[in-house]
Amino acid sequence: MLFENNDYDFDVLSLAGFSFSEPEQNYFGFQDDALVNSKEGFLRGNMWKNEYEPYKGMTYMPLRPTCEREALLYQIMEKDFAVNDLNLYLDLHPEDQKIYEKFKQYTKECIELKDQYAKQYGPLSLDQTSGGSYEWMKNPWPWDKSGGSMYV
Amino acid sequence: MFKYMKTLNYPVNIKKRDLKMAKYLHTQFGGSNSELAAALRYFSQKFSMPDEKGKSLLNDIATEELGHVEMIATMIKQLTEGASVEEMKAAGLGDMYSEHGLGVYPSNASGVPYTTAYFAVTGDPIADISEDMAAEQKARAVYENLIELATDEDVIGPLLFLRQREIIHFNRFKELYKHYKKRGY
Repeated sequence: MLFENNDYDFDVLSLAGFSFSEPEQNYFGFQDDALVNSKEGFLRGNMWKNEYEPYKGMTYMPLRPTCEREALLYQIMEKDFAVNDLNLYLDLHPEDQKIYEKFKQYTKECIELKDQYAKQYGPLSLDQTSGGSYEWMKNPWPWDKSGGSMYV
Repeated sequence: MFKYMKTLNYPVNIKKRDLKMAKYLHTQFGGSNSELAAALRYFSQKFSMPDEKGKSLLNDIATEELGHVEMIATMIKQLTEGASVEEMKAAGLGDMYSEHGLGVYPSNASGVPYTTAYFAVTGDPIADISEDMAAEQKARAVYENLIELATDEDVIGPLLFLRQREIIHFNRFKELYKHYKKRGY
């Protein structure tokens, strides 16, 4: 599993190449390395290498899932984030086939992980409702700290 | 229409109570450059976008911003959870407590309620998108102020994430602005 080696447990990295220069706006001639992977992108809040501007050398804080449920949830959030960030780009560049292929890949991975989560822990969206009892209203809700095992 | 997904956009797990920080964070819940103002601004402006690019981008960023409203409100809730009245008073939150208890109310850091007067809808894509670009930069600056005020990495982490989203949104709006200029708007 993605999190077995504490993959999310990063220290704050020192500043590397922080720049005030304008991001490249035209992704025509897009290279495969225009994107970071979804885990790095999720932690940064930014999938695009040339648009990343960390503040004063602060990149991101460690995420430390405390149980398998939380680890799986973080993976879903990661894929969902990648889908969203590519979605905004594709709204303006629907002709970019390479990014569209990445978008489809992340969408598929997100759906698969959400299905796995729903089977093990309950639905994340109402259309995932199945099984013998109504689970949707059960804790934890995303804003819960206690009473909900701090899973988000 | 909207459908809810039972996750946050990015994890918020704040273990340490910090009432002053909760007070400061209200600026991004219900202040002039808040996530709530952003969400409603783009949501409202989408109805007068003239082509597919504008309609889709405004719609999709508005949707994301609503997720950011939820993140900020969650941070405020977790920072104040279990606070006593004395602690609230000591942190300058006595006024807020008198009306809202430990509820999370969309106001700015000084307790002024959110108002839609914080943003405009002109029906003119160039004017609206110019405002959107400025709004993203103002929100980025506010996140940097909040990061300077924060002391707990459980708070700084989500703020760094949200700041980065302002940068991406600004870049997308700027692209859309150039697109409409080219089209003669």
